Amino acid sequence: MRDFDAFNTMNKGFDFSQAVAEADRCLLCHDAPCSKGCPADTKPGEFIRKFQLKNITGAIRTIKTNNILGGTCGVLCPTERLCEEACSAMLKSKEMPQGQDRAIRIGEIQRFLVEYSWERGYQVLKKPDQNQGKVAVVGSGPGGLSCAAELAQAGYQVTIFEARPEPGGVIRYGVAPFRFDQTFLKKELADIEALGVEFVCNHRIEGEKGAEKLLEDGFKAVFLAPGLWKAAELIPGQAPIEGLLSSVDYLESLRDGRLEQTATTFEGKTVAVIGGGAVAMDCAETAARIGAKDVYLVYRRSYLQMPAEEKEIQAALETGIHFLLLNQPLDYLTTADNIISGIKIARTQLGNPDNSGRRAPVEIAGSEWNLGVDIVIEAIGNQAVPESPNWYPGVKTDGKHLIQADPETGETSVKGIFAGGDIVRGPSLVVNAVRDGKVAAQAIQQYLNQ
Amino acid sequence: MKSSNQVDLSIDFCGVTFINPFLLSSSPVSNSAEMVEAAYEAGWAGVAFKTLNSDRIPIIHPSPRMNSYHYGHKKLVGLQNVEQISDRPLKDNLVDFLYLKKKYPDRVLISSIMGFSNAEWEYLAKVSEDNGADMLELNFSCPHMCVEGSGHHVGKAFDLIEKFTTTVKNAVSIPVLAKMTPNITDMTEPALYAKRGGADGIAAINTVSGISKVGLNDLVPKPNVFGIGAISGTSGPAIKPIGLRFIAEMAQCEELNLPLSGMGGIETWIDALEYLLLGAGTIQVTTGIIHYGYRIVEDMIEGLSDFMVEKGFNSVSELVGKANANLKTTDHFELDRQGITEYNLDACIGCGQCVIICNDAAGQALDWDEKERRPHLIEDKCLSCMICSFVCPVDGLITFKEMPKEWNRRETRTMDASLEKELKFSPYKDIQVL
Repeated sequence: MRDFDAFNTMNKGFDFSQAVAEADRCLLCHDAPCSKGCPADTKPGEFIRKFQLKNITGAIRTIKTNNILGGTCGVLCPTERLCEEACSAMLKSKEMPQGQDRAIRIGEIQRFLVEYSWERGYQVLKKPDQNQGKVAVVGSGPGGLSCAAELAQAGYQVTIFEARPEPGGVIRYGVAPFRFDQTFLKKELADIEALGVEFVCNHRIEGEKGAEKLLEDGFKAVFLAPGLWKAAELIPGQAPIEGLLSSVDYLESLRDGRLEQTATTFEGKTVAVIGGGAVAMDCAETAARIGAKDVYLVYRRSYLQMPAEEKEIQAALETGIHFLLLNQPLDYLTTADNIISGIKIARTQLGNPDNSGRRAPVEIAGSEWNLGVDIVIEAIGNQAVPESPNWYPGVKTDGKHLIQADPETGETSVKGIFAGGDIVRGPSLVVNAVRDGKVAAQAIQQYLNQ
Repeated sequence: MKSSNQVDLSIDFCGVTFINPFLLSSSPVSNSAEMVEAAYEAGWAGVAFKTLNSDRIPIIHPSPRMNSYHYGHKKLVGLQNVEQISDRPLKDNLVDFLYLKKKYPDRVLISSIMGFSNAEWEYLAKVSEDNGADMLELNFSCPHMCVEGSGHHVGKAFDLIEKFTTTVKNAVSIPVLAKMTPNITDMTEPALYAKRGGADGIAAINTVSGISKVGLNDLVPKPNVFGIGAISGTSGPAIKPIGLRFIAEMAQCEELNLPLSGMGGIETWIDALEYLLLGAGTIQVTTGIIHYGYRIVEDMIEGLSDFMVEKGFNSVSELVGKANANLKTTDHFELDRQGITEYNLDACIGCGQCVIICNDAAGQALDWDEKERRPHLIEDKCLSCMICSFVCPVDGLITFKEMPKEWNRRETRTMDASLEKELKFSPYKDIQVL
């Protein structure tokens, strides 16, 4: 039996001395730019100051009060373009516009503080005594967890309905385990459970008026955050091919007990991952690490246009992934038994920017070629499950089946039903979902106090 | 430019020649010849050997012996220490003396001694001289001896200082240093008692009585010796300002006029140089070695040599006490000369720490441009305290500039002038006492 311990475990974070040394580099800015850079308002300027002044419990309280998934965000956030982006410790000035040093590693300090709270058994948040009534949350991903925790702290009795066997949504089933592991998630979830939040798993809210029915069943408000669980297809309506996987199914197979089986399938194989985002990087890196012989990342634009974060791209490169940039997959080649055997690809050049603001790929006529592969993973974006509008028929959705909700409050077209996270925004960051959950929780309280 | 290894750092101190002014002080770092030999090899010019005892009372060190005082992530800005004088048999220490003098005749061996009676001081002085010690250092200052009637108890009873010094001087012909405790208000007074007893020089400072940390789980001050803490000796960079002050005061005392061996918080050539400039002829180190090892002497030698070449000093003795001409009491300040801070905002990185502290601790002389993230100085409110420059992360961004004589600082505002009519107040008039 193969040993998957390293695959299933995150790298260790800072220890106490490392965290203190890094926090000591912080300049404790006036009007701290890092705090302005956090969508979830986790207030790094405040928690680092508290930590530097040895108010460690206070620092943890700041994180957890403002961001119940502070540990998770510390691990998963692209901090270099959020809190760390305008960090004064880079020492940028008019004389030295490129700066002279690196930003404070805020995400690492944040992760350390949350892990330290678990190690030391600090319970910084209290379950309130009062009962303000029942609220239902649909989906236990970052958005749902954030909303539930915020409401629970305000005294509401919150039930989270989760379709899958275990809570966490995308952070449970949609990321590589070495990037974010189960042990860490369980501890972060325990903090939420300690607030009295109830989890009902293996329970999909669906069918006619699924979500609206919760309002009839005694819940005073509902927050919808089911996420995006349909992988976009290269060729919409593509009939199944053996060896053609979606990123959603593939990543889930690494995390739902099928890891060994998937690893056996991948052993010694040539794999192509289509896409250039964070999910594509996760798919490529994991494929290489579970035993694929060669992994190609096929992307139709170039390096600079990749939506993945720099550090994710670097990690993939260092794992030995072959980047095939400026290559547009066109079709799949199969054997007579309907097993995938290759991808038909066209070379591209970059043209003018498209709607995304990135330069668009333009196929080079006559450049088609075939890449022989054993397995293909499509990682070109996550979408709403097409039938999801049926789970909340009164709630207005758009052409992509995304819920239309007020970005400031999460209010939907149905009174008492709020929504947030990827099902409203489209694919986005964990920290943005946390923000949506918080904002909606405040709006829900206002609505219920009317 | 002359290469630094051509600089002669030797100095005559109490009639004894030292190849450089850097010595180990009497402490754990000078506990045996094996250790001192390694220090000599690294370049140290001499040693005040770990304080001898006469085997009359067994010396047992508490366990654990030390505690560190950290500042943020910076380790050992202070050290707390309850180690006693040497726990080795006197014979072993003296055999080590013979070894060191035989193998390293050009290095200076100072025997540190501590007695409990006249006879014991005399005995220890004599055996030291008989076995090769070049000098003596009388330990009047250890702040944490477990045995009554020793260490800094003597250093605080000035007549005992004089008495024991006289005894020792009558017994030996080698030079004698009296090592003083800083745990008093004025060190010149006991130093003068030592001088009257015949001391040839003064060594200072021993450790400062202190408490570096209290255990928050067991509520025991550290080091926690099986449930008990004690006030004991604090050393390291944290105490350097105290050491410099005592050395300068003794150096400026004309009546005293004795060579000084300075110590307290020295880690670098700059620390050592400051002691020299304020009047020390030799300097001694322990905590710096506890933090970094004997190797730091290499940087002291090289750093001091380069400084002397750069500034045109030909010998260490030229440096001794050189800054004391510029050290006066505060009533000598020219108060009609005033200045303010000057900001080079091209170098500003926008952290805004200056704004916080100017508003909370100074003249409220800085406005904050939120959009540009830059401070704006209101010149006539600046107090020239300079605290903004202490927190600014960019060197040289904030400097001091003298203002013209006719320039005036704005009065600090009152919050509500209308309250003046409610004042119960008449100006103070000096009453002439005849």
